[in-house]
Amino acid sequence: MSPEEIQQIFFVECEESLAAAEAGLAACRAGTQDADTVNGVFRAVHSIKGGAGAFGYGALQAYTHTFETLLSDVREGLVEIAPPLIDLLLRALDTLADHVEAAREGGDAPDDAGLIAEMEGAMAANAGNAPQSAAPAPSPVEEPVQVDAQAAAASDDEEDLEIDLDALLDDLTADFDAPGSPAEAPQGESWQLHLRPRAGAMRNGNEPLLMLRDVAELGGTCLHCDVGQVPQLDSFDVAQGYLGWTFAIPDTVSEERVRDIFDFIGDDCAIAVGADERIPDVELDAAATPTAAPSPAVAASNGNSQPQEAGAPAPEEARPLQSVETSAPVGADANTPPTGGKPAAAAGAQPASQGAGQSIRIDLYKLDRLIDLVGELVIAQAMLVQRLDGVHVNASEELSLLESLTRDIQESAMSIRAQPIASVFSRVPRILRDLATSTGKHVRLEVHGESTELDKTVIERLGEPLTHLIRNAVDHGIEKAEDRIAAGKSPEGTLTLAAEHRSGRIVISIADDGAGINRKVVLAKAIEKGIVGPDAQLSAEEIDNLIFAPGFSTAAQISNISGRGVGMDVVRQNVKDLGGRITIESTPGKGTAFILTMPLTLAISDGMIVNVGDQTMVVPLAHVVESLRPGEGDVKGLGSQRQMLNVRGQFIPVITLGRELGAACNATTPEEGVLIVVDTESAGQAALLVDDIQDQRQFVIKSLATNFRPVEGVAGATILGDGRVALIVDVDGLVACALPSHERQAA
Amino acid sequence: MSKNTRILTVDDSASMRALLNHALSTNGFEVSQADDGVSALEWLAVNEVDVVITDINMPRLDGFGLIEQVRGGTRHRDRPILVLTTESSDEKKARARAAGATGWIVKPFDTEKLVAAVRRVAH
Repeated sequence: MSPEEIQQIFFVECEESLAAAEAGLAACRAGTQDADTVNGVFRAVHSIKGGAGAFGYGALQAYTHTFETLLSDVREGLVEIAPPLIDLLLRALDTLADHVEAAREGGDAPDDAGLIAEMEGAMAANAGNAPQSAAPAPSPVEEPVQVDAQAAAASDDEEDLEIDLDALLDDLTADFDAPGSPAEAPQGESWQLHLRPRAGAMRNGNEPLLMLRDVAELGGTCLHCDVGQVPQLDSFDVAQGYLGWTFAIPDTVSEERVRDIFDFIGDDCAIAVGADERIPDVELDAAATPTAAPSPAVAASNGNSQPQEAGAPAPEEARPLQSVETSAPVGADANTPPTGGKPAAAAGAQPASQGAGQSIRIDLYKLDRLIDLVGELVIAQAMLVQRLDGVHVNASEELSLLESLTRDIQESAMSIRAQPIASVFSRVPRILRDLATSTGKHVRLEVHGESTELDKTVIERLGEPLTHLIRNAVDHGIEKAEDRIAAGKSPEGTLTLAAEHRSGRIVISIADDGAGINRKVVLAKAIEKGIVGPDAQLSAEEIDNLIFAPGFSTAAQISNISGRGVGMDVVRQNVKDLGGRITIESTPGKGTAFILTMPLTLAISDGMIVNVGDQTMVVPLAHVVESLRPGEGDVKGLGSQRQMLNVRGQFIPVITLGRELGAACNATTPEEGVLIVVDTESAGQAALLVDDIQDQRQFVIKSLATNFRPVEGVAGATILGDGRVALIVDVDGLVACALPSHERQAA
Repeated sequence: MSKNTRILTVDDSASMRALLNHALSTNGFEVSQADDGVSALEWLAVNEVDVVITDINMPRLDGFGLIEQVRGGTRHRDRPILVLTTESSDEKKARARAAGATGWIVKPFDTEKLVAAVRRVAH
């Protein structure tokens, strides 16, 4: 893995951490201010800081340091969690996101001076609040008590002593005593180091021998090894430090450098420096000597009729005692739950992280290749069924097994590309905060179904239209606080984001509780812009849809919030490009909901297979409203060229699919064929005349542009079960092309 | 050393694990990874290791908890455990020592120091 790839992982992680912190702070604001939540936010920021340091992003690291320190104070209860603080933390998080962005894009770091000052202010203001619990780290004095039990127990366990300790001891001392005669100082100036490790050194997995080796590597020479405390073999405890050494260290080596070696071992190794000093005396842990009074635990086991067996487990019993003790909330970590002795409980606490732990990262290209192949498999399977139909074996069990397996494989492959929509939803709180600053409208966010999964590409490309819809909802949908109060609503607006899986598609709704669409204003504006004729009779729904008309949303989007040069027509186009549809439900005074219906995946789609002359074509199901066989008088002529279908009192234009695509159509009049009523984005509804409908099934989209060339009115091609190629109708393009603009339904 | 030193790195950050892995494996160590204390314990239950390097702040089971569990068990209780930490305050050191840590590595680490620290504790 190259450093660049590792860096990429870091930025992916930053996104995850930012989302986690955002979620944590949102929970805090909602009233969940427990230690786990606060610690989660701390950990997220801490993790970004760690990576920032490792990858050399100085500005990011410096900023996260202040942020982390404040969070640490919050976690320790030094700074009280109050709404203003949460707001500060949220703003700090926004700036952190900007910092991460700057680090990733190599841009200038955002101006964070103001926020840093605010954060430092928050810490300073609460500096006097240090609670009692913020005491220094645990006193090591308590520890020997547990060690006693263990050491005593260990010395009872004679099986440990079946090695030749004398030889071992000789080896150990020989290493340092042997070269030269004892007490002979090295050539040149030197200073003396005296040391004696204690029992704790070895208990922590240290090996004093390795440290002595380090000293020797620095040029230290062993002058003396004190073996005076080594006991009789039968009372020898392997975990005790019986030996002490004096080293001569060349003057060229600083004391600091030598002390560095023993830095971490801390109190577990007594050190003295200087020729006048001697090897420090270290009290052996009392229990290590056989005369010591046994600790209660050992006394109990000694009372047992089988002391040896009973004594052996004692160290194990003593251990958990120690771990519980040291992991119990001490000082600064008062809010951290004691995880030490309870892995099971701790494991249950954050099951969400478990999924992340069992994931692998794979190249998207490989995944897409797999999905492509699965698509081919689906087609091959369909072809096989069709072929075997002729020889009357298609009812065989094996074939249905193959079919169900193929479907399972397809679903599994699709689910690999699927991601929870939470990654898009998680950006919303920040958008709302920014909007609150610029519009003064405070909006509460409700989110449902954020675990709903859909295709990664769809998720990635959904961000922009969604952002626009949210800005639109806050800017135009939700009223000002005073208007809301006047209307008898709560001054704070509510935006509800919801996602759900509904019959093979994902339905996402963005609903506000604002004033609803003012249809009078919208209609007047559409007439003014020439989008509809002055005498147009439109239903409420049609008026609502006018806001998606190209050219509608420019001038009236006066504010700079939603009017960023992007109109609602672009939103609709974005959604449509993803194979989705957008509809509006608006109730005056109650609010407006934009409903996005998105496909689960871009690679496979549902379609209606139709016959047109000798051609087979696919009409994407997303566009199909209904299909019908017109009766006498349902279709009326309009001039010499156009026929109109009467659908429950509404007239929509009939388009002969064969004629538009240059295929001979068997049905020359609508009554001879089938009419498929389709919904289009820009030209309202239309009825496509086809010979008949063959089937409705999933199809794999093959691009015509990459395999042949783009063709107007054709969205792509697919391979049918019998191996033939069928063209997929581009309903929007075809209808727009077939109908002169004045004939369009909405016009 | 005739065989490679086996190291388990424990960190919830994939990039930090990748950095450690890169630094250690290019220096001839055999590296395994776990993403928090719980998965480290699961790994340790069925694998052998020479040195454990662990982060402190992790979900589910943090570094201190992991060390205490390892020291409290039988199988790996004497194994050196190095703590990865961004701060080197005496208080943190005392806390890590009390938990049973063998040594520590300050983040961001440089490869040379990391390797030296591992060599110092690898028995």
